[in-house]
Amino acid sequence: MKNKKKKSSFGRKLLYIFAFFCVMLWLTPVLWMFLTSFTPRGGAVTVLSELFSPPFSLKNFEYVLTNSLIWRWTFNSFLVATITTILTVILTSLAAFALSKLKFKGRNVVFWVIIAGLMVPVEAMIIPLFQVMIDLNLLNTYGALILPNLALPLGVFILKQFYDGVPNELMEAARIDGASLLRIYWNIFLPLSKSSMAALGIFTFILSWNDFLWPFLAVNNESMFTLPVAIPTFQSAYSSELMIPMAANVLASVPALIVFVLFQRHIIQGVAMTGIK
Amino acid sequence: MKKWIGKSENLAAYLFLAPFLIIYALFMVYPIIRGFFISFHTYQVGVEPIFTGLENYKTMIEDAYFWEALGNTLYFVVISTPVLIAIGLLMALLVNSKLKGTTFVRATFFLPFILSISVMASVWVFIFQPYTGLLTSILLSIGVEQDIFWLTDDVLAWMAILVATVWWTVGFNMILFLAGLQEIPREQYEAAEIDGAGPFRTFISITLPSLKSIIVLIVILQTINSFKLFGQPYLMTGGGPGTSTRPLVQYIYEKGFIEQQMGVASSMSYVLFFITIIFAFLQFKFFSRRNEEDK
Repeated sequence: MKNKKKKSSFGRKLLYIFAFFCVMLWLTPVLWMFLTSFTPRGGAVTVLSELFSPPFSLKNFEYVLTNSLIWRWTFNSFLVATITTILTVILTSLAAFALSKLKFKGRNVVFWVIIAGLMVPVEAMIIPLFQVMIDLNLLNTYGALILPNLALPLGVFILKQFYDGVPNELMEAARIDGASLLRIYWNIFLPLSKSSMAALGIFTFILSWNDFLWPFLAVNNESMFTLPVAIPTFQSAYSSELMIPMAANVLASVPALIVFVLFQRHIIQGVAMTGIK
Repeated sequence: MKKWIGKSENLAAYLFLAPFLIIYALFMVYPIIRGFFISFHTYQVGVEPIFTGLENYKTMIEDAYFWEALGNTLYFVVISTPVLIAIGLLMALLVNSKLKGTTFVRATFFLPFILSISVMASVWVFIFQPYTGLLTSILLSIGVEQDIFWLTDDVLAWMAILVATVWWTVGFNMILFLAGLQEIPREQYEAAEIDGAGPFRTFISITLPSLKSIIVLIVILQTINSFKLFGQPYLMTGGGPGTSTRPLVQYIYEKGFIEQQMGVASSMSYVLFFITIIFAFLQFKFFSRRNEEDK
């Protein structure tokens, strides 16, 4: 018995060492990004030990902020991600409410048409979507960056599943009291689904903030770039001075990192929820 | 009275659905139909389309680069799926064990997933960069003096793309596995312990079988994602050396937007569309089966 306990504590030590090793492996690229971004230009980044030693400076950030449109790009990313998130949550929850709680003609057809959308990858639609944007004269506008991402079938699917779990009696009772459907939606269903909607919202925000392929195609005017489209321009322009692109990387990541630190628990629960439940 | 309620409910339902359905029709349903139309035409921006029947599909089939790009995508699916599943499961087991600080470890593994693909690619390009890259520095510090050109050798370039992808996305699979692990009743483990089963034995006869359905789900999700590969090679290797890491999505982009052959690019899109639909359909089947089991 005693022997067994000893063995398991040895095993635990091994596990801790393994965990520590993995964490270091996973953190190193991010740490390196940060350390390099604080190293003065011309400083050494090839010798590992020198990365950790001063001088540290904020000059790279200053340089990036004054010599590029990064303010504008950050503003674009924020605007696009915020509007996309708010509208997506509103549109999908309205649709999910109707599909879950209202009986209407063609309900099944509508449901299946939306579910079919779960199967369509944007990657396979870039050419016709681009044509649609040309027809609507939306290329290089915020409309092009926002509109195609709003109709998120996954959002309808998740919220409908949530609303399905809300007892119908709640709805009947409110109806007998004479509440209109909009009131029922607003006063009962919205407050109930706050946490599902928050998870969906955080998710949509991060997806939109990090979206690459579509913004890369939809805007070619530098002042309309979002951060993910703009970041590669640093990489090609400063390939020999990696502290400049690294500073840009850090600036582009900080908002997402803040969201992550604040909502970490919800994000991870949100993933598990969309994946399995 | 009842009839009247029915009618107004129809109307109300459509009013609730309208905002979503309008956007959905305009930017999802219509483009799919439009893409199908384009794939049967010679199509360029600003030029009247000419109907050419199956010509684009013929061009596509005879194009060796199309097959190479499709092959590259398949190759990535085959090499990335097992690695992402195995490492994801290992991580989930680690953070599910009764160690201190697992919340922190879990967050660390998930962290790269929130970085934009451009940031991720930029960091890894500089890690793999010859002479001044982080990897070269590490190798130098342990005595490897030979310079390795990670991103310009076709085998190593795929390895670099794979490593970057694993680092970036495996946290997502870990979370799915973790959710699955937490659904396994504790009594099963207690029973196994009483029977004197060791950790390995417990893993084989309790953990793995219980995770079977989640493994299926992750295989399907991962396959769909790997078929959509674009950003990692585009940003890290440019599809090179030569065209050896150029995936299908990148070739569609180049055909359509650089060579301006939107028709051929659309027929290639339909191949991608068809492949992902098969896997997405399997995924949906899986979802609905699980939902019925829950009820």
